[in-house]
Amino acid sequence: MKERMIELTVNGINLNISVPVHQTLLDTLREQLGFTDTKYGCGTGECGACTVIIDGEDSLCSCMALASTLNGRSITTAAGLAEQGLNAVQQAFIDQTAVQCGYCTPGMVVKSTSLLRKNPNPTEEEIRKELEGNICRCTGYDSIVKAVQQAAQSFPEENTQWDNAVELKTGAHS
Amino acid sequence: MSQFSVIGKNVPKVDAFEKVTGQPIYAADLKMQGMLYGKIVRCMDHAHARVTRLDFSEALKIPGVIKILGPEDVTQTTYNTGACDEMVSDKVGHLLGDLKDQTIFTYHVRHQGDAICGVIATSEEIAERAAAKVIVEYEPLQVFMTPSEAEKTGTHQLHPDKPNNMAFQLPDAMFPGNSYGWGDAEEAMKEADLIVEDNFYVNKQKQCQMEPHAYIAQVDGRGRLHCWSSGQMPKITHQKIARLFDMPMSMVKIHSTTIGGGFGARLGIISEPETCAMALAVPGRPVKVQTLREEDWIISESRHAGDYWMKLGFKKDGTPVACQARFKANTGAYFTHASGVPFTTGAWLSGMYKFGALGYQGESYFSNQAPAGAYRGYGNPQTNFVLEQLIDRALTQLDIDPVQWRLDWHKGVGDDGWCFGVKYPSCQLSECLRQGAEAIEWDKKVAANKQQSGVKRRGVGVSVMNHTSGAMPMLLEHTVTTIMMNEDGSAVVSTACSDLGQGSHTVLHQIAAEALGLEMHEVTLKTGDSDANGFDIGSHASRTTYVGGNSILEASDDVKKQLLDRASRHLDTSVENLEFGGKTIFAKNNPENSITTAEICRLGVYNYMDPETGEPEGAPGQIFGFSSHFAKHNSPPFGACFVEVEIDTETGEIELLELVHTHDIGRTLHPAMAEGQMVGGAQQGIGMALTEEIYYDDQGLALNSSFTDYKMYGSSDMPKMKVILVEDPDPHGPYGAKSVGEAGLTSPVGAIANAVYNALGIQFKEAPITPEKVLKAIKENGLNFA
Ligand code: FES
Ligand code: FES
Repeated sequence: MKERMIELTVNGINLNISVPVHQTLLDTLREQLGFTDTKYGCGTGECGACTVIIDGEDSLCSCMALASTLNGRSITTAAGLAEQGLNAVQQAFIDQTAVQCGYCTPGMVVKSTSLLRKNPNPTEEEIRKELEGNICRCTGYDSIVKAVQQAAQSFPEENTQWDNAVELKTGAHS
Repeated sequence: MSQFSVIGKNVPKVDAFEKVTGQPIYAADLKMQGMLYGKIVRCMDHAHARVTRLDFSEALKIPGVIKILGPEDVTQTTYNTGACDEMVSDKVGHLLGDLKDQTIFTYHVRHQGDAICGVIATSEEIAERAAAKVIVEYEPLQVFMTPSEAEKTGTHQLHPDKPNNMAFQLPDAMFPGNSYGWGDAEEAMKEADLIVEDNFYVNKQKQCQMEPHAYIAQVDGRGRLHCWSSGQMPKITHQKIARLFDMPMSMVKIHSTTIGGGFGARLGIISEPETCAMALAVPGRPVKVQTLREEDWIISESRHAGDYWMKLGFKKDGTPVACQARFKANTGAYFTHASGVPFTTGAWLSGMYKFGALGYQGESYFSNQAPAGAYRGYGNPQTNFVLEQLIDRALTQLDIDPVQWRLDWHKGVGDDGWCFGVKYPSCQLSECLRQGAEAIEWDKKVAANKQQSGVKRRGVGVSVMNHTSGAMPMLLEHTVTTIMMNEDGSAVVSTACSDLGQGSHTVLHQIAAEALGLEMHEVTLKTGDSDANGFDIGSHASRTTYVGGNSILEASDDVKKQLLDRASRHLDTSVENLEFGGKTIFAKNNPENSITTAEICRLGVYNYMDPETGEPEGAPGQIFGFSSHFAKHNSPPFGACFVEVEIDTETGEIELLELVHTHDIGRTLHPAMAEGQMVGGAQQGIGMALTEEIYYDDQGLALNSSFTDYKMYGSSDMPKMKVILVEDPDPHGPYGAKSVGEAGLTSPVGAIANAVYNALGIQFKEAPITPEKVLKAIKENGLNFA
């Protein structure tokens, strides 16, 4: 099996590692390096569970990238975002109850952080567009969108198209 | 001011902190010393075939391959991956004709993906390469995919005991005439002024939980079998694995891993048998089996598709005189839930409206589809799609408003629920209907839609539902809880109730904290350990808050009783004179005379002798509360869903403009999590109505086993959504709560279909309602929307 030496920075740690040339970044992270906070959901670039940040800003499906081609690059996973305590997106996911089973969550958090780093004031539409590649089967997305809005500190937005709120009403007895 | 300290509050989910950093351990994240990898060889090219040659010789030559197990190398005991067989008595199981018809590996492929053999190797890659080298030759057999094909004479019979491939029908001994209901529906139908009747098809929907199934099993030095599994019923898994391998339960341990979504997919077992069989072949070495997404898709159970006939009779004034229905469910290749779903499909039907008479027949048929099983709703969405549409068809002809008719005729408090004799203890469906109609501006929109023109047409639709809070009285309802009071007065609550992500562990924490007068962080939940946890039937039937919660309340009462007994001794007064004030117990007649619960707990554990008196300093013994709780009631939640759609009659595209979800779930224990269940449930209900179905080619091979080809609503497809919870504490639920888990999925299905009907005047008899079907129907009906 052909291997290649690469230099990879993962969550701020500089690593010189040898990787099989055909190994995906997802496998390198999970199997070789033990960063299991990056999840396998499909392995074919369709679900976003494996999303990581590359070089600080852009996001990437790690199941679709070969580690051997990423020499010199820097990778951030969900755990890496919390090195100085939870980042704003992570805190907002807790506050907005945007976490259910949690399997999509690392990818969602990473993707949302990448979005806010590039566009600190996204509209609701832009948030929803950006998250299209990340599937969540639990939440129906509303709480996640609210969390990103909270993180962007522009919540609630003027655009009230998705002004979703739960209302508690008292029952009636005749 | 709320009377509660944590109930009804949006406390942080107990698992949220870990989950936002990706720390929880799902089964696939586990790695162990000396771990081997298992790969199951599956038949991917045939839906029905017999294995004529199985040759491991080439595969075994690959370095790193440890063993390959074929059908004869493992136990021949058969099993059922579902769980219904564990939830009814043997007598009822016998009457229902339940089968255990699955084997670990097989020579008879009954559906695409059936397991042939298992390769054990030192790495996943080697296991995969070796699996590809296993030579399997097949003799194809006749493929049949639907109930009507299955029952045709001459069709291959999948199970010797089930003629015409009819896996199940309501047994005459329990349901005379193989029919469920009341009155003589056929006679009553004769009284009707208007009859509506049609044949429908309901679709095979996939749960699509985000975590693909993964397992590890290992036999330890003592010969004890360990299995790490993300099943939603750990105690049932425990029982099934022990029985399958003929071991006492004490020699099997189930370690529950974090569950990455379930929605029914993890009800019962899936590939635990294969994984354990491989581990038993290599004692001492852990064996990991990671299922690929495509594999997960075709091996794990889906929603039951089926053919649904229904006939409804009404008087001119709308009085519903009779309902007759027959559901022929497609159970797929194995029995699994063949008896459960056709029963509940009719139960939901009979629980909804006050028909004068009702007769329902439920059946299941084998086919070469992947097995069907439990999926959130469990027959309810199927009924909703059919019943709610047919009602609206009749109401159009009778010129009666759909909201008003539902207000007039839905069942409510005191009526027989979905199981006769179990009456509804609480119901706010009328208020749900009123609130929802107001929120979506029903009257205004109905009037406006009558006047519309142009290629884009709008429609509004309503649908109602109720579900269940546990499965009492049909199935066993039992949860055991123990509460250990630490010596500082904090508590460890032990229960096997699992959390699929919906938040049940958070709610159970809340219930325990409230009942014991503790803060959230003073309660710890001990779950997921079959050695430590007592029995729990598992997370299904929307039961965990309602039944698990009541079990925790019962165990808390036991703790409180012991605390009071001891306080009475410490404070030298009668129990009747004592009262709890948070974490203190005081004498009512002299509040100064008090003791903290922490002090009682401490003295119980550190029970020293007083050197002066020679007496112990307080009552001895650590306090444990216990409950072995059998649910005595069932309090279904109710809901009404309102939807507005806009249909492009040139493309057939249906856009959801708004969805209003109103629900009566009793008292809301955690509003944000309840909302999350409603919105998340709606996403799946929308999918069932509009986009989601597993398609097969004519050879029975699945065509869309991927997220690209199987269409789910994504973040920007979701409509504007509003959730209204009409609160009315239920007399039986913990703190008045009813269930919420499955409720959100069902009513959107019928509401969307009815909104489409309102927009186009066409009803769709096959779910999902795709743009192609819309265009075809517009053409066939000769409609012109210009
Ligand atoms: S695992 Fe990479 S996109 Fe699904
Ligand atoms: S929280 Fe379960 S998939 Fe998103």
